[in-house]
Amino acid sequence: MTRDEIKDVILEIIQDIDEDGEVENLNADEPLRDQLDLDSMDFLDIVMELRKRYQLQIPEGDYPELASLASCVNYLEPRLKDV
Amino acid sequence: MASYDQVIIGGGLSGLAAGIRLARFGYKVLILEKHAIAGGLNSYYYRQGRLLETGLHAMTNYAPPVSKSAPLNRLFRQLKLSRKKFLTHQQLRSTIYFPDGHALSFSNDLELLRGEVARLFPGSINRFNSLVELIDRYDPFVNRPWRSAKDRLHELLDNERLLNMLLWPLMMYGNCNEHDMDFDQFVIMFQAVFLEGFFRPAGNIKDFLDLLLGHYRALGGEIRFRAPVKHFAIVDKQVNTVVLESGEEIAAGQVISTVGYPATLQFMASESGPAETAGYRGRMSFIEIINILPSEYRKKIRSDETIIFYNLDEPFDYCCPDEAVNVNCGVICFPDNFHDLAPGAEFQLRVTHPANYQVWKSYAPEEYATMKKLWADRSAGKVGEIIGNYREKVLYQDVFTPTTIEKFTGKANGAIYGSPIKLKEGTTPLANLFVAGTDQGYLGIVGAMLSGVTMVNKHIFKEN
Ligand SMILES: Cc1cc2nc3c(=O)[nH]c(=O)nc-3n(C[C@H](O)[C@H](O)[C@H](O)COP(=O)(O)OP(=O)(O)OC[C@H]3O[C@@H](n4cnc5c(N)ncnc54)[C@H](O)[C@@H]3O)c2cc1C
Repeated sequence: MTRDEIKDVILEIIQDIDEDGEVENLNADEPLRDQLDLDSMDFLDIVMELRKRYQLQIPEGDYPELASLASCVNYLEPRLKDV
Repeated sequence: MASYDQVIIGGGLSGLAAGIRLARFGYKVLILEKHAIAGGLNSYYYRQGRLLETGLHAMTNYAPPVSKSAPLNRLFRQLKLSRKKFLTHQQLRSTIYFPDGHALSFSNDLELLRGEVARLFPGSINRFNSLVELIDRYDPFVNRPWRSAKDRLHELLDNERLLNMLLWPLMMYGNCNEHDMDFDQFVIMFQAVFLEGFFRPAGNIKDFLDLLLGHYRALGGEIRFRAPVKHFAIVDKQVNTVVLESGEEIAAGQVISTVGYPATLQFMASESGPAETAGYRGRMSFIEIINILPSEYRKKIRSDETIIFYNLDEPFDYCCPDEAVNVNCGVICFPDNFHDLAPGAEFQLRVTHPANYQVWKSYAPEEYATMKKLWADRSAGKVGEIIGNYREKVLYQDVFTPTTIEKFTGKANGAIYGSPIKLKEGTTPLANLFVAGTDQGYLGIVGAMLSGVTMVNKHIFKEN
């Protein structure tokens, strides 16, 4: 997957988790948490959804890598390159 | 042999919530339920063509859909259920009623309670406000050891009557201990009842259960009714298979038990002898009297509140009574009294009192029926002193006792709030067995569901 595709997947997953999350105007470098009013329980859902879709195992120690949209893409790019 | 990623024992609210959470992320999950229908303590049955609810007085933790971080809305997000489509009816107003005409009303707007405290306990209002501030900032979900809520409230409020009045509804709706309460549990319940508040889902508990069951199945989850679990086959300190009463064996990668810790210990016990469950058998059980009254009688009695929590005992003590029932204290609930509910031809009056399981258990069958009548009558006498007499107007009455609760939900001693010792971590001596629901520690309908969700997140999602 390309970086853009990965970004779209993340946005789609967030939209799916939060029925009225506004993902259009997200700042890629700011923490998602501050912009979306989500908590750690919601973040676990991003991890679980990636696991379900791509059999990707993300260890708990790596969760901070998913803090912002840009860091998500950086973290996932090598892991989803063959998808 | 059938084999699942996870087997959940019990199709009550915690089991259903755990199941939905697992099925949502593609796990192969099976719920085993002893009864023919779901819901456990919060279920329903039919009498004379009427659907009667067994548990629901009110759901706690009311929050409008916009409050994203509120427990109720987080729960809905975790279950992937639309909160916006979930219609709710808020309570009208409830009252805590004590001797000497002491009464405090509250609603889903904290200002009502604040005003009432200022009126009845003018010298304590500043301390009460400080308590509310403290509770607002307090995280009760950090794993702390048990601390006496009474001692802490003595320090904070310095007013015996006020602290007992605040404790009473919170104890009735979520305390497994006699006489006192864990301070963290007090905070959880204070937030759930006084800061957030009471509501009912639109429709009845069957509609709510059908919503959960339908959603669970649509996500691929499986449930089997009339499938009581008998014990576990254990290999290397892990549950290898779950064995049903019928003898059937089901292989499970992980097991979540929601049936309470005493029953779970029985599943783990070896063939050679029963498990040591004494410390985990709670004593707080209740009797519930459901009265159906004609609508026109509404105006004849005090019936404009949602719930009245009354206590006439001096000194106040939340405990298992020595007699079969203590009618000097109880909860009077009008399930039809929520905002925007259309009045019907009948209305319900539900009354709950603390009751003694051992006494009820000791009755022979005929005696049991007689005692149910006798105590329902005494209850009506006492409740009549508060709301006005209704005894002769009851169109239909049903009573369930601690033994009914034990029979239908497997809760040892009919202890609705379960073990006095909570397994907050949810772990057990077996590496792949976890407990959720009542004995894990979150109580009530919303609490049980949050427990199911939290245990799955913590032990299954984060570990795998
Ligand atoms: C009279 C009454 C009034 C209440 N009022 C309210 C209220 O107004 N508001 C509120 O929030 N809460 C209320 N509650 C409390 C609330 O119902 C419970 O806290 C909550 O439903 C507990 O859910 P649970 O999943 O932990 O346990 P349970 O509901 O007990 O679920 C356990 C399930 O396991 C099943 N089971 C047992 N043994 C086995 C076995 N061997 N094999 C397979 N399955 C088994 C049982 O049949 C049951 O379905 C009330 C309860 C009662 C009884």
